[in-house]
Amino acid sequence: MCPHCQSLDYKAEQLSGRGALYSYALLHHPRNPAFDYPVLAALVDLDEGIRLVSNLVDVAPGDIRIGMRLEVAFEPTAGDGSVPVFRPARSAS
Amino acid sequence: MSGFGGRAAIVGVGATEFSRQAGRTELRLACEAIRDALRDAGLTAADVDGIVSYTVDPVEETELVRAVGFQEIGFSSRVPYGGGGSMGTLLHAAAAITSGAAEVVVAYRAIRARSGATRFGGAKTAASPTSGHSGTTAMQWCMPYGVLTPASWMALNATRYMHTYGVTSADIGRAVVQLRAYAETNPAAWGYQRPMTLEDHQASRWIAEPCIRLFDCCQETDGSVALVITSRERAADLPNRPAFIAAAAGAGLFEQEIASDHYSRDLAVMEGSVALGRRLFERSGFRRDELDAAMIYDAFSPILLMQLEALGFCGFGEAKDFVAAGSLAPGGALPTNTNGGLIGEGYIHGLNLVLEAVSQLRGTAVNQVPDAARVLVTASRTGAILTRD
Repeated sequence: MCPHCQSLDYKAEQLSGRGALYSYALLHHPRNPAFDYPVLAALVDLDEGIRLVSNLVDVAPGDIRIGMRLEVAFEPTAGDGSVPVFRPARSAS
Repeated sequence: MSGFGGRAAIVGVGATEFSRQAGRTELRLACEAIRDALRDAGLTAADVDGIVSYTVDPVEETELVRAVGFQEIGFSSRVPYGGGGSMGTLLHAAAAITSGAAEVVVAYRAIRARSGATRFGGAKTAASPTSGHSGTTAMQWCMPYGVLTPASWMALNATRYMHTYGVTSADIGRAVVQLRAYAETNPAAWGYQRPMTLEDHQASRWIAEPCIRLFDCCQETDGSVALVITSRERAADLPNRPAFIAAAAGAGLFEQEIASDHYSRDLAVMEGSVALGRRLFERSGFRRDELDAAMIYDAFSPILLMQLEALGFCGFGEAKDFVAAGSLAPGGALPTNTNGGLIGEGYIHGLNLVLEAVSQLRGTAVNQVPDAARVLVTASRTGAILTRD
């Protein structure tokens, strides 16, 4: 249910895939065999106003900055699925 | 004002040893702590007509009734929110007693956080009927990204907090040093006779960088704590000095999660604790500076600083200065977690902090605050103010 208007209708919307890094953490321990460490965990504020838990890719830990511009990429996950992850934006936006 | 005004009181406390390998079930641990709490209160199992715990406790009520020998339970409840609900047991107990729903309530928590089937701080990869951590929809959106542990959930909030207010790992470490100094002299504590300096803290390895080092984490602990709560009138006939419940409150906010609030607007502020503090101080009529000590849920040390701010003991972003001034230590502005906290003593999912508050009010604490008469106990979104008279 929509927590703002209690509507039960929903539909998928295409998003820009662009946003900014709200927070992050480099996860070192404990380790789970399904992941490479450190896990680059991120909170991404999408430009549409939605926040996602995700991972950062294509960035060195030392180059991570809160507020940096990000764009979506997709990576495979368990089963046949893929999940949205984020890399530094390649073009100004 | 709608506080309980001391019309209910904690009259008995009991606990097992705190260890890493209890070697017995949670049910047995709960039974032992409850037996000791009833003896401490000068009551028997037959006097009890209410039982309260929180949703993650694995001890099922009917088994507990059969094992302890409770005769007729008229009231039972569980508080949600994981450890954040721990102090809500006092709210439920006091509400039951002052409304007449129960006369004598036992609050309990039994845990094998270290030796149980999964370590409490370990990865949660599947929903569990006894773990709120993995039972919420929002947590499912963490799993595909390797954000599997309580430390990892809280780290995302803590990094934002540190970024917003310019807080460093050493700023946080100064709080841990003060807690560990209390633990060092507490024979019940994991940290007993284990000194820790700021240098030790800063040399400890990262769990989640840049906010949580090994020594910022509470101890995964086996053990149980039980409390006996009854009315002011009945307390007057019992052997111990009561710890009166001046006020108890809870605040579960929209978009607040069990161990994280990833979707709240401003993660640098623990809004649930802001609401909780407002409720507790309005209901009790006390000012912040009238408290003699505070027991604040410190599963991970960054949230201790964040709660100091949210509860109003200092301004937002000022906890690092409040802590650096030695405020948490003996003689400080707010002696805090005088048992060593969940970090220094052990982690009975918060309820051992109530044990310490009661000891302070009885004047029997190992690190006694002189003449302690008013003590705060909080766990992020539930809490109480306890008084000596």
